[in-house]
Amino acid sequence: MNARRQAAVLAAPAAALLAGIAVVPVLAAAWLSLHRSILVFHEQRFIGLSNFRFLLGDGRFWSALSTTAYFTAVAVFAELALGLPLAVLLHRGGGLLRAAVLLPWAVPTAVSARLWAWLFNADYGLLHRLAPGVDWLASPRTALHAAILVDVWKTTPFVALLLLAGLQAIPQDVLKAARVDGAGPARTFFSVTLPLLRPSILLAALFRSLDAFRVFDAIYVLTEGGPANATETLSIYAYKTLMRSGDFGYGSTLAVAIFACVVAIGLSWLRVLGRER
Amino acid sequence: MRSLAIWLVVSAACSRSPHEPGAAGAVQLVLKHQPLWGDPAPFHAFLDRFRRENPGIVLRTDTLPNGSDIAREMFVTALEGGADDFDVFAIDVVWAPEFARAGWLADLSDAFPPARLREEFLPGPVQAVTFEGRVYAVPWFLDVGLLFYRSDLVPRAPRTYAELRDMAKEAMARDPRLSGFLWQGRQYEGLNCNVFEAVWGHGGELLRGGRIALDTPEARAAVQWLREAIETGLSPRSVLSSAEEETRRAFQDGRAVFLRNWPYVWAEVQTAGSPVRGKVGFAPLPSATGAPGSGALGGWQLAVSARLPPERKRAAEKLVAFLTSHDAAVELALRYSRIPARRAVYDDARVRQGAPFIAALLPVALRARPRPVSPYYALASDAIQGELSAAVVGLRRPDEALARAQKIATHLEER
Repeated sequence: MNARRQAAVLAAPAAALLAGIAVVPVLAAAWLSLHRSILVFHEQRFIGLSNFRFLLGDGRFWSALSTTAYFTAVAVFAELALGLPLAVLLHRGGGLLRAAVLLPWAVPTAVSARLWAWLFNADYGLLHRLAPGVDWLASPRTALHAAILVDVWKTTPFVALLLLAGLQAIPQDVLKAARVDGAGPARTFFSVTLPLLRPSILLAALFRSLDAFRVFDAIYVLTEGGPANATETLSIYAYKTLMRSGDFGYGSTLAVAIFACVVAIGLSWLRVLGRER
Repeated sequence: MRSLAIWLVVSAACSRSPHEPGAAGAVQLVLKHQPLWGDPAPFHAFLDRFRRENPGIVLRTDTLPNGSDIAREMFVTALEGGADDFDVFAIDVVWAPEFARAGWLADLSDAFPPARLREEFLPGPVQAVTFEGRVYAVPWFLDVGLLFYRSDLVPRAPRTYAELRDMAKEAMARDPRLSGFLWQGRQYEGLNCNVFEAVWGHGGELLRGGRIALDTPEARAAVQWLREAIETGLSPRSVLSSAEEETRRAFQDGRAVFLRNWPYVWAEVQTAGSPVRGKVGFAPLPSATGAPGSGALGGWQLAVSARLPPERKRAAEKLVAFLTSHDAAVELALRYSRIPARRAVYDDARVRQGAPFIAALLPVALRARPRPVSPYYALASDAIQGELSAAVVGLRRPDEALARAQKIATHLEER
């Protein structure tokens, strides 16, 4: 009992800090989402669940939600698919290679997004020259894929790094045993390495999908959500409603919706991860 | 180089100008404004003149973030929170009615009567700062949309849209690498400006009885014109993802015949080494009928915080009068290429000699028109951008997109 009490005392500062910077703002946003609150017009009144009712019928919200879901699914899948071979390569390669691969991850997103915006530029862009006739950022169909490409370019190294840690944790004797049993490299990879890497892959997927779901900076710099709101993710919609339109009530409703989605994603991944153990 | 200049301006502006602890009873004033670009020394020397002339006022300056959106966020949060760390501040042209309605701006009608403002300043800026017959800010300097053209490729500026199209097609037939007409079609505030200009060019209005009006025949014609420019190849598809700089660069590299942009482009295309130096002319935007078109009005106005007690308000008004005076406008035009909001400055010999481009802008500046002067515009603008973008990229028909934009604006105004 004494040890437990001591543990509680030791954990208290961290818990208080977490409550202060995470729980309180979330609760404040939830409270605000029950109001009609427009700063400029001094409107602030309680309206219950009206905002949420409006949300259910708001086409822009559903379109932002599906854009975000599509972005998350495609980006995370591509990052894992590319990150895995990269991790294997890094596992063999030296420190310099590792450092070089990490470069995209180290560049601030706003900077790299600006860089990509010029690569996509229809008059000067390198990508435009390689594939003329594709209006990367000007067409609602391609703009979202352009954003996905930027995200994949930036975060694949991070995924590779997580997987690399997993690879390094695989005991050498298991691999040696496989070789002794006569398994070739391919067989060893798919029957030994990959299953042992599963927890790392799931962990990378958890991190990345939570992050990708809240994507803001890359897309904001590339397109500001355009054209025709085709690249508007939930974060961008919430930001525009909150900060540009000054509608704090509905903006908070959107923020709460994002929070709910992120919690749902996090919990389902954790459940999958938990089953692994 | 430019970033160095920005850094210098910002750091110079951030360092609080040292001032003697004024005599007891001295009035403290803080001026909050956007950095002016370039060497801050002339502006500070100018402010020093105000200090000398008004020993009873202790003046400090503070800079605003550069982006208009960010500056607005700052003001909305600060003013709503009852901030009192700035007294006189520069506001963007579309904020005046919104901030006035919020009660954040002092009514300046006594010190700057509307009639006098109308007499001395250009009509567009005066319209932008007047809300329900009262004056809430004084125009400082302006910005306005205009048409740049390649004087080596076309004989003169086009007056109508049809002329623009024909001239461009002719030049493009001679040199297939050329684009015809560049404008800003990315989903952002600049797209609204481009569309509004086309609405005015088709004889339309954006306000009807004080309400935002977008679902009008003229607006449909305007959006149709821009959409057709893309469909017929008059404008390259790249304009759909372009803001000012992307189009300016393409034009400056000699890739286009016409460019709709803001006056800053002039200095850029005339720099040494610019491929189109000496081959560029400018004119008011074209219209459907051939009458000179109107450019969207941008620029900054000086407002006074509504929280000031009478004595400080009088001092603040003095500062506003000083900064928006004829001499100040001349100074800003000569030193910072800022376009005057005062009518007489364009005829001032110093400006005609030292900044002939600015003096020649008068016909354009006279026709500058504000975006809808409605307290709801800033709220609605974001949703309008999405719909206009859908129309110009061809995702929705113009009438459909405008009807949706109208619904959003009406919904905002009615609650």
